[in-house]
Amino acid sequence: MTINVSRRVFGAGVLAVGVAGASRGAFAQGTPRRGGTLVATWGGGEPQACYVPAGGGSSPTFSSSKLFERLAKRNMDGSFEGVLAESWKPSADFKSYTVKVRKGVKFHDGKDMTVDDVVYSVSEIWKKYAVASALTDFAGIESPDADTVVFKYNNPTPEFFFASTLCSPVAYIVPKHVYAGSDPVTNPANNAPIATGPWKFKEWVRGSHFEYVKNENYWKKDEPYLDRLIIRYVRDPAGRAAAMEAGDIHIGVFNPVAPPDIKRLTGTGKFVATPKGYEEAVWSTTLECNMRNPIFAKREVRQAIFNAINRDFIAKTVYYGYARPGTSPIYSPNKEFFTADTFKTPFDPKKAAALLDAAGFPKKADGKRFTLNLLSAGWFPENGKVGAYVKQVLEDVGIGINLTVPDRPTSIKRIYTDYDFDLAISNQANPSEPVPSTTQYFTTDGILKGVPFRNASGYSNPDVDKLVDRIKVETDPAKRKALVVDFQKVITQEAPLLPLVELESITLASTKVQNHSNDPNFLAASWGDLWLAS
Amino acid sequence: MQRFEFLGRFARNRGALVGAGLILVVALMAILAPVFFPTDPLRIVGLPELWPGEDSEFPLGTDSLGRDILAMIVHGARATLLIGLFASAVATIIGVGVGAIAGYFGGWVDEIAMRAAELFQTIPNLIFVLTIVVILGSTLSNIVIAIGIVSWTPIARMTRAEFLALRDREFVQACRSMGMSDFRIILTEILPNALPPVIVLSSLVVAGAILFESAVSFLGLGDPNVASWGRLVGDGRQLIRSSWYICAIPGIAIMITVLCLNLVGDGLNDALNPKLRDR
Repeated sequence: MTINVSRRVFGAGVLAVGVAGASRGAFAQGTPRRGGTLVATWGGGEPQACYVPAGGGSSPTFSSSKLFERLAKRNMDGSFEGVLAESWKPSADFKSYTVKVRKGVKFHDGKDMTVDDVVYSVSEIWKKYAVASALTDFAGIESPDADTVVFKYNNPTPEFFFASTLCSPVAYIVPKHVYAGSDPVTNPANNAPIATGPWKFKEWVRGSHFEYVKNENYWKKDEPYLDRLIIRYVRDPAGRAAAMEAGDIHIGVFNPVAPPDIKRLTGTGKFVATPKGYEEAVWSTTLECNMRNPIFAKREVRQAIFNAINRDFIAKTVYYGYARPGTSPIYSPNKEFFTADTFKTPFDPKKAAALLDAAGFPKKADGKRFTLNLLSAGWFPENGKVGAYVKQVLEDVGIGINLTVPDRPTSIKRIYTDYDFDLAISNQANPSEPVPSTTQYFTTDGILKGVPFRNASGYSNPDVDKLVDRIKVETDPAKRKALVVDFQKVITQEAPLLPLVELESITLASTKVQNHSNDPNFLAASWGDLWLAS
Repeated sequence: MQRFEFLGRFARNRGALVGAGLILVVALMAILAPVFFPTDPLRIVGLPELWPGEDSEFPLGTDSLGRDILAMIVHGARATLLIGLFASAVATIIGVGVGAIAGYFGGWVDEIAMRAAELFQTIPNLIFVLTIVVILGSTLSNIVIAIGIVSWTPIARMTRAEFLALRDREFVQACRSMGMSDFRIILTEILPNALPPVIVLSSLVVAGAILFESAVSFLGLGDPNVASWGRLVGDGRQLIRSSWYICAIPGIAIMITVLCLNLVGDGLNDALNPKLRDR
């Protein structure tokens, strides 16, 4: 059985989100039944490769996380638990962390996992690809003996930050003997991975599915309970709903079907829907102002844009209630760092108009103050609807809007490479640890032309940069939280980019599936503990 | 006199008459849209997903955001007809130009023009339209250009065949011997004789263009600032199990319009080629 030594609990509160209409429960009953094949899907498309060293988005994270394992994971109660690490401990100055590596773990090809694999993964994969932006202060990794590695940092590194890095999706331990000497990005093993997880890669039928089989030599003696795991890709939400209804697919993570179908399927009593399992990957729909446009020079103009928008309407109508208004760059399920005490930009068109008048943009003869290009990223169909709504309400306060809804590659290029927008509607998913996932949307070093999901607004403020630098090195949890609260207050008032709504991601599963939605990032969990009731 | 004969032959085809009547209704709808619905049809005006008849204010119901479907259908008629007509005009201009030059001059000019036409014909039309729209950006004028670019080849081939048949006729040779310029012969002598089948084909391109536009909008690549029938179908697709009317109403509008255009095309064919019909 597993031994979980490290358990410094930060924030004991349960991370589950309260939601209207969604069923709750343990999703587990009785003793696990062995055997069977589970067919799973998710609310997106097939990945570009089974495993992408740099992450590559949720799709390869979903497919690779069943095969590869991380050093640690976070539990629903907020505690951290070792996976391939048994424990970790900071030095007195918080500039190095000693990690005990689990023994007796074998790769799928039969070779032992050793500290060499950990050293290789961290220095060659993590530092260069997987979690590069979280390792800017990283000074190197050493292995003093056969079951210990030491992470070294240039500056004091908070424990929560360190543990969160170990838990990052795709911060995997990869086999050195497969990857050393190759370019990890193009290594053919990425499409037939050899790893340590409960599932072994069997085949990938492109355009259809992945087939994984039980790892008989898995280090957790009882797992996995199932014999086979199939990840199937269905392009259309209506097609997924039909496949689930027919019993061809048992579980769909991350909004597999359209909201009206959720009610219809759960109404049959054969399915459960839950928002649990997304606490460490909370999605939002954001609106950002391109600071390169001089119209946005005054923050009152940016605030006015947000004042003109009724976020509650977006949550209720566009997302059918599976969303809640966003109030801070840190999202409300984040028990460690979220604060409700931020600068508010409530729905108030009159105030928006007054702010714009005062900022020197009165209505001209044609009834418009100025005209902006609004880009809605077309990767989620809802974004186009949010765009149509935002266009209408901004036109109501006298801002002319040209709306475009380009497809995914064009949207990424126009927002994050060409900066070809005035206002952009995009999405982000953030874990609890704000550095770097959340902060890189606002800091000057986050302005990286061509890198998606970074600071595309071009917002650069030395005060914010300094604040984030302090958050990075503050090792006292209480003081650190106070700094993050300051960060939220500043950003909500400055408003270069704010969430319009926090999205409630939904997992839909057959009532036969047991033990699901039990991880704060369930999509990226190993799924060794899932089983099917007869 | 001749004109009445033409109308008489057209009217003999009952289907064409019905088609022309309905097209007229759609055209009136398009012209009078701002009179009936003076505000932006894409405005959110009511509760989302109201069924037709549920609220007398919205006889055809509202879509998933609460926009009036009737207003979008009426305004959508404008976009749909404009795209159809302009795309057909673009295709006809390119097609007739290329076909006339290829058919009249023959030789290497013909070779190059027809190889180019074949190149366009080998690319699947819809994929080609989507590619052009994605590259140029999804505005109404770009969609028109894209549809025109994929639709000109049948017109070019038809025009070329007519020109091949006509260019060595006596009246053309007479013109040539009189020293008439090539340009004038093409434009004033051959083209009027070659035009009737081209007109029939152009009317069918209008119908095809409407379907292309609907497909582009359905896939979410239409102009989001314009109400269009195809986009309404695409928006409603997600809700097809619960609120199917959002897809069905614009779908029926598209079907009727395209059917009518085809009927009109048949009628034109009868009217312009009377011999063909009597045979």
